[in-house]
Amino acid sequence: MANYAHPEVLVETDWVKQHLGKPGIKLVEIDVDSKAYAAGHIPGAVGFNWQTQLQDQLRRDIISKTAFEQLLGAAGITPDDTVILYGDNNNWFAAYGFWLFKIYGHKDVRLMNGGRIKWLNETDKELTTEVPQITPTQYRASGPDLSLRTLLPELLKQQPNQTCNLVDVRSPDEFTGKVIAPPGMTETAQRGGHIPGAKGIPWSTAVGANGTFKSADELRAIYLDKNAVDPNKETIAYCRIGERSSHTWFVLKYLLGLNNVKNYDGSWTEYGSIVGAPIEK
Amino acid sequence: MNHQTRVYDNIFELLPTEQNPTPLVRLNQLNPMPGFPLYAKLEWMNPFGSVKDRAAWALLRDLEERGLLTEGRGLVEPTSGNTGISLAALARARGHRLLAVVPNKVPQEKKILLKIVGADLEVISDELCPAPGLGDGSINLAKTHAKASPQKYVMPNQYENAKNVEAHYTTTGPEIWRQTEGRITHLFVSLGTCGTVSGTAKFLREKNPDVKIIAVQPTEGHDVPGLRNVAQLGVSKLFDAALVDDILEVDFRLAYTRAVELCRHEGLLAGPSSGLIFEGALEIVRRDQHGHGVMIFPDNIFKYTSNLVKHIPELGAGLQP
Repeated sequence: MANYAHPEVLVETDWVKQHLGKPGIKLVEIDVDSKAYAAGHIPGAVGFNWQTQLQDQLRRDIISKTAFEQLLGAAGITPDDTVILYGDNNNWFAAYGFWLFKIYGHKDVRLMNGGRIKWLNETDKELTTEVPQITPTQYRASGPDLSLRTLLPELLKQQPNQTCNLVDVRSPDEFTGKVIAPPGMTETAQRGGHIPGAKGIPWSTAVGANGTFKSADELRAIYLDKNAVDPNKETIAYCRIGERSSHTWFVLKYLLGLNNVKNYDGSWTEYGSIVGAPIEK
Repeated sequence: MNHQTRVYDNIFELLPTEQNPTPLVRLNQLNPMPGFPLYAKLEWMNPFGSVKDRAAWALLRDLEERGLLTEGRGLVEPTSGNTGISLAALARARGHRLLAVVPNKVPQEKKILLKIVGADLEVISDELCPAPGLGDGSINLAKTHAKASPQKYVMPNQYENAKNVEAHYTTTGPEIWRQTEGRITHLFVSLGTCGTVSGTAKFLREKNPDVKIIAVQPTEGHDVPGLRNVAQLGVSKLFDAALVDDILEVDFRLAYTRAVELCRHEGLLAGPSSGLIFEGALEIVRRDQHGHGVMIFPDNIFKYTSNLVKHIPELGAGLQP
């Protein structure tokens, strides 16, 4: 598949259609728009809410290992299942879910290329409002694998462009500080701008007009050649709250195969509010 | 029906045709070029208040004729307001229901109007971050309903349905040709679904290939409901670049100031999209100096008071004792 380093983590909509209902295949939809799943989803898919089910409701953090085990158990998923994630907005939160599944050690998790919009617009693909009947499981997770995540104390020790590549995947207006967040977003920061030394490479440069990922050659040209991401260094991606950067994290780690890529999920809503921290505009 | 007596058996008889056109009114104060008269086609004189009556009626009739509106199945449509108002009013008057999927940025007046005329409303967050392939949240949610619940919903899809173009080919175009006695040299329109521009331009070009079609668009990041700029046009399958001579981009804030000028100096209660079209027409009138222009004014100002106050703060001053 398009010469990706790890093609096994990506499936096409046709593959999903052919594998609907097969044992060992589980579908999970994760959307930005929480109304989308109820309006219609791929037959057999369960829906996860990124705000209430993938994030801890009391501390600002990803859900705990126990909560992850409960979530997947209630969704009828076992550690041996092949889990296909998909969602709206070009798989933003599906990619965030993918990152979370990997942190807690799920072996076989994949993204559906093009997300729910591609499925929606293909005439041979069905949608349903029917919620699947689930037989709960006792899911046991491993990890957490913290080599996939950057927390603030580690970030502050880095010297971008010397010790690491730092990739800001937000829109150009957020990068330059013209806006602090896209219009209408409630999660924001005290100031607009970016972390000093970050390269601004919007997440959307990784996808083509139909929302599917660009080929490995095109991605290599964008990240390594044009923007000088050094594949020999650690790479940290960030955005506003860590979901768009999960998308770029997926591209760099799995499609291009860089060996040390992390998601800084604290992102701009954390860094942009630190007292005394320098920023660039 | 006899429009001279203005007595009708039902509201549908008021819908525009070549024999019952919306009015064309000449601008007398704000046009600086006497050799280039400009006429406004007042689409708010349609029975449900906007140019969208034309497409809504064509879409609805098509669904009825194809037997797609049955007991228990209504319509679902993404709309920034006007199509929804026309479609809901027409549908309810004929015994059908409409679920309107509306972006949150649509002015409150329009949302309430949708409910008044009997639409069911689903309001969704606006687009979060410009991206390829995303389309438009309201379009995708409406499509999802139609695909997942076909027993409840059928989606006319104004963005892709050729009936939208045909409505203007059979009404707006012939009306203008007849009202100007074939003298029209320039047509000024805005772009949304692109049904108006494609259908009207196709008819006028067949009558006179030299008629210039000028599309006026708001700048990116605009706040003019119903319109799209070049970057947003991908969602419409009805746009035909071969039918457009010029695409002008106008600072969207001028849509509001020009609309108020039209209200105050011409007595034309033009809404912001009309203001935008008028600004584009002024640019061409100065450039070409001679001609006979028709501007399609999509709707009037009444639904936009809250947007107007936002962009022209003076209007919000002195409202309290």
